[in-house]
Amino acid sequence: MSSDFETYEQDFGTITAEVTNKIGRIPKLSGEEKTQLVLNVDKQLEEVRELLEQMDLEVREIPVQSRAMYNSRLKSYKQEMEKLEKDFKRSRIAYSDEVRNELLGDDAISSEGQRAHLLDNTEKLERSSRRLEAGYQIAVETEQVGQEILSNLHTDREKIQRARERLRETDANLGKSSRILTGMLRRIIQNRVLIFVLGAVILLTIILAIYLNLRGH
Amino acid sequence: MDNSGKEKEASALMAEAEKKVKSSQSFFGSLFGSSSKLEEACDLYVRAANMYKMAKNWCAAGNAFSQAAHLHLQMQSKHDAAVNLIDAGNAFKKADPQEAINCLNRAIEIYTDMGRFTIAAKHHITIAEIYETELVDIDKAIAHYEQAADYYKGEESTSSANKCLLKVATYAAQLERYPKAIEIYEQVGTYAMDSTLLKYSAKDHFFKAALCHFCVDMLNAKLAVEKYEEMFPAFSDSRECKLLKVGRSPKSFSRNNKIKPHLDVKAGLSEHRVVCRH
Repeated sequence: MSSDFETYEQDFGTITAEVTNKIGRIPKLSGEEKTQLVLNVDKQLEEVRELLEQMDLEVREIPVQSRAMYNSRLKSYKQEMEKLEKDFKRSRIAYSDEVRNELLGDDAISSEGQRAHLLDNTEKLERSSRRLEAGYQIAVETEQVGQEILSNLHTDREKIQRARERLRETDANLGKSSRILTGMLRRIIQNRVLIFVLGAVILLTIILAIYLNLRGH
Repeated sequence: MDNSGKEKEASALMAEAEKKVKSSQSFFGSLFGSSSKLEEACDLYVRAANMYKMAKNWCAAGNAFSQAAHLHLQMQSKHDAAVNLIDAGNAFKKADPQEAINCLNRAIEIYTDMGRFTIAAKHHITIAEIYETELVDIDKAIAHYEQAADYYKGEESTSSANKCLLKVATYAAQLERYPKAIEIYEQVGTYAMDSTLLKYSAKDHFFKAALCHFCVDMLNAKLAVEKYEEMFPAFSDSRECKLLKVGRSPKSFSRNNKIKPHLDVKAGLSEHRVVCRH
């Protein structure tokens, strides 16, 4: 396993050397050759990345004890690669020293930094404008949701109003029916009293009739 | 296992109920209080129908409910009949949409007879939805939605009426009956303007109306947009208005064809938002 790792290391070494060489040459060239070289370096950086991934996998397969050493090597390789990438980026934006010196006198070094600074700023601006757009879209969607909710509320409001009206009507009807029932109850009691009174009168009349009859005898 | 047991119970109940009904029609039954027999039969039908529902046998459940409704009609209790018809309709919705629509129509007749227009309107909407989804017959769906909207207007619930009218307008626009859709959108928009709750959706309605105008006639569209702006000042600084003004330029005749598919997506307003967001 570790022999694989060493093969990878060797490949890594060769490719990084080539890349450093090319990165050194890029600012001095221009036009067709420059784009060619840039593409080349890009490809090689891809290869380097793949190598690093494979080294990573290898390291994971190694047993834990010897892993520490390989890990540290891997870390240093990763850092080297990041430095290479940074150099590459800077080299792409850096014009060759002679041309710049012609153009700007002896401000060459600081304007290079300024250019990087500008690019950073542009990137930040783009990021913030994207965030603003996203926020705006969320606001618009919120408005739409709000519209729907409001119309639902309106419908519900009408339903509740109607239900309240019906409730009041029912209440009034119930009141009326309870009054009618009380009236009925009163009349029932009246009728009953009347019946008792009439019954008593009839009984009295019968008793009187019998009494008079007996007296008359 | 449980379901088939329930089904057997249900069929037993149905048979019992039918016996009761038959017995109540004989001579003695009509002498000795047939009404209580009919009520019991109704009750049995309803119980049987519920058991069929548990066993997910929707057709049988619907049948049982309609039988119960029939008996209620014989006993002159319209309200109960209508309730059972609605239950039957709901059961049939899952199995046989046509039958469901029949039951619901009968129920609506009973309700309009009794004067309960709100409930009738609600069921018109249900029927329209069935036409929308299962039996895809847009014309009939539109008719039912309109009927529902009329009933709601009669009962002074303008908001529900507007909801139905909006659906009518969407479908009308889909079927290219633009004048009708325009009228409805303008009406709803004007109503919405006056209400505090709804004014944020007013501009949305005007936008749709203007889109319809676009599909018909450019000049009309221009006049319409100006009219809306005058009626509704806030409309002019909404993004939709800006889109309309852009669309009004002469080369936007080709936009007409682009806008037609937009109309089909009318329900999905978020598409508009994306378009407007340029």
